[in-house]
Amino acid sequence: MNLEECYLKLGGDYAGVVGRLRSERLVQKFLLKFPQDGSYRLLLKSVGEGNAAEAFRAAHTIKGMCQNLGFTALEKSSSALTEALRGGSLAECGKYLPAVRADYERTAGAIAEFEKSLQG
Amino acid sequence: MQKRQAKERILIVDDSEMNRSILADMLSDEFETEEAEDGEAALAVLAGGADRFSLVLLDIVMPKADGFAVLAEMKKRGMMEDLPVIMVSSETASEQIERAYELGATDFIMRPFDASIVHRRVLNTIFLYAKQRKLVGIIEEQIREKEQNSSDMVDILSHIVEFRNGESGLHIRHVRALTAFLLRRLIKKTDRYPVSEQDIPVISMASALHDIGKIGIDDKILNKPGKLTEEEYGVMKTHSMIGANMLQELSVNGGNPIVRYAYEISRWHHERWDGSGYPDGLKGDDIPISAQIVAIADVYDALTSKRVYKPAFSHGEAMKMILSGQCGAFNPLLLECLSEDFGGIRQALAASGAETAAEDIKRRLGPLPSARQAASDRTLKLLDYERMKFNFFAELSEEIQFEYTAADDLFKLSPWGAKKLGVPQEVVNPAADPALKEAFGVSGWFKKFESLIQKTSPASPEFKHECELPIGGARRWYNIFIRVFYSDAGAAEGVIGKIMDVHDTHLAMSELKEKSIRDPLTGLLNREGAAEELKHKFNNFPAHKYAVAVFDVDKFKNVNDENGHMFGDRVLKEVSERLVHGTRVHDVCARIGGDEFLIVFDYVTELRPIIARVFKTICGEVDGCEVTVSMGVAEMTESGQTYEELFKLADAALYAAKEAGRGAYVFASDIKNIVPHGGQTEGGE
Repeated sequence: MNLEECYLKLGGDYAGVVGRLRSERLVQKFLLKFPQDGSYRLLLKSVGEGNAAEAFRAAHTIKGMCQNLGFTALEKSSSALTEALRGGSLAECGKYLPAVRADYERTAGAIAEFEKSLQG
Repeated sequence: MQKRQAKERILIVDDSEMNRSILADMLSDEFETEEAEDGEAALAVLAGGADRFSLVLLDIVMPKADGFAVLAEMKKRGMMEDLPVIMVSSETASEQIERAYELGATDFIMRPFDASIVHRRVLNTIFLYAKQRKLVGIIEEQIREKEQNSSDMVDILSHIVEFRNGESGLHIRHVRALTAFLLRRLIKKTDRYPVSEQDIPVISMASALHDIGKIGIDDKILNKPGKLTEEEYGVMKTHSMIGANMLQELSVNGGNPIVRYAYEISRWHHERWDGSGYPDGLKGDDIPISAQIVAIADVYDALTSKRVYKPAFSHGEAMKMILSGQCGAFNPLLLECLSEDFGGIRQALAASGAETAAEDIKRRLGPLPSARQAASDRTLKLLDYERMKFNFFAELSEEIQFEYTAADDLFKLSPWGAKKLGVPQEVVNPAADPALKEAFGVSGWFKKFESLIQKTSPASPEFKHECELPIGGARRWYNIFIRVFYSDAGAAEGVIGKIMDVHDTHLAMSELKEKSIRDPLTGLLNREGAAEELKHKFNNFPAHKYAVAVFDVDKFKNVNDENGHMFGDRVLKEVSERLVHGTRVHDVCARIGGDEFLIVFDYVTELRPIIARVFKTICGEVDGCEVTVSMGVAEMTESGQTYEELFKLADAALYAAKEAGRGAYVFASDIKNIVPHGGQTEGGE
């Protein structure tokens, strides 16, 4: 699996991100870092603890990273969740979180597969 | 001063490690980066030394303190003046962006970001601020250099302001004089203030810097002809603080008393006695006495001087306006000092009219309308740099560069030029200078120089001239370029120029030119070369008698066919040699076609014997082959006949000679009703 195929799999904009960051090497470097970022775990934890403000920031951070990395699918769902949480209430959360969860897993899965193919 | 060699340092504030590291990677080639993971961490880093950074990239949504909180805190701590902040966020709501700008952010970059955009914005912002810091640096450097002569320094600095806002140098001198005058009277009146007689020159000198902060004000606002808007006025008001900041950086390095007083004056000369002034709203004697005095001197001189927007008020009118509080509130004691001795004021102001050294230089340079505007940005350091650069290139170019000013009758040479000529760099009255005369090796060289100047005009002030000069004993070819400066009235006031040794190029060019006008086989001129030469002859010696002869080798085609081209060439060469032998140096001989030749005779008495002799010389045996020619001749029968006309007649006569059976010459004047031919004959029939 190459980098472009990985983007295809996770529903991202490969051409866009390479155009912006000007280097495949950089894209790969940051893509591989993505699963290490704690924002997603923080999001789930905050939602579980009922901390809407913290959940908002975590969702916002995920959205920002996705924008930078061109993870279009996850960006869309996390963006919707961010807006739902902006008001400081978790009421709407249930409506948007499942999509974020699905997209995150799809993204993380694609990256894991890509990383594996690098080692193999 | 910010050193260019050091990499500029950027603080990246973002809660996402990945976002920070993307930015850091984008910028790592050119900048040092430091990172902070939230607003609190950022403020802690900045508290440890904000001046280490040239820029902050700041996220908005962050835990602990968010981006807005960071901006607000930075503003409160007075960091925004020197440290630009670019917001980086995925917030797209316009009120968020608006709020960031309101809090003093310089720019806003939206996520997802493009490496080249981030790069460009960061660079632009850093340059913008670097310029401001550089100005501070320039002044600092100037002051260090000029510490020995503080008066010069003050003159120079105040002239920077003056250049920039088109204010007259007189205002600054007046404020100085009034400051000294008021101080002197005040000291007599009271010992309430910690100033003594010996502080007077220092404070009055420092007063010249009261508006130094205007360097930092945008040209457009500073020189706006009309009334300022409220916003613009707000910007204008920052000049007192900008000046104070500049001077404060200086006072750290040495604490020169002039700089200390200048700081007080710059910062507080718009404060008012009743607390209604700016920037700090100080009241009464909380305002340092130096600033109080300059404030009143500034206002008084503004009132009593003519400005574009107002006439000059008399002392009485001005005093009335000041005393009635129309121009703000002042220390009553100072008002007393100002109002009780009009004679003293008049005397002080008159004495201040004497020129300072800088004024004098400016006057000697004359009015430089465009330079005046430009001087605001260049400043002295850049001028120094330009001068250094100029000298460097002048040295490398190995040209004699010179400058002449008519008013001083002064001839100046570049160091290299002076060395080359073996004369001093500056020569007064160059026309009579024996060293220059010997160097140029031409008596009356100055007259020739003047004649070059006369070839220019205000509309076309440049001129280039090529000539041979025996500089240093050897005659060589030189190119002289001059640029003449004309006054508005059209008088030549000065000249700059250079003399370049082009000898080698010139020789190469002449050789090439020689090649282009010569026939390679016979060495005679070709058709173009002959035309050139004849044009020159006919133009320069129109009174001479000329005759044109055209001839070709009889049956040259047969000669070629029977004996081969090599032999044909041999015949042409032989004919050419005979031709050169048979004619005189000032006759022009040319091979103008295959076997077709041209002679232009420049003769004095009788033509016919000459033709007979030349014709006889040309004809004769070449390696056992009898060679004859047919020739047509046309002499000038009336003055003003051109070469072309003569050529056509000669050509027609040549035809007649061929018709008559070849091997003969025919004069056009002997043929009745001669019809000139087209000018071309088919050679080698």
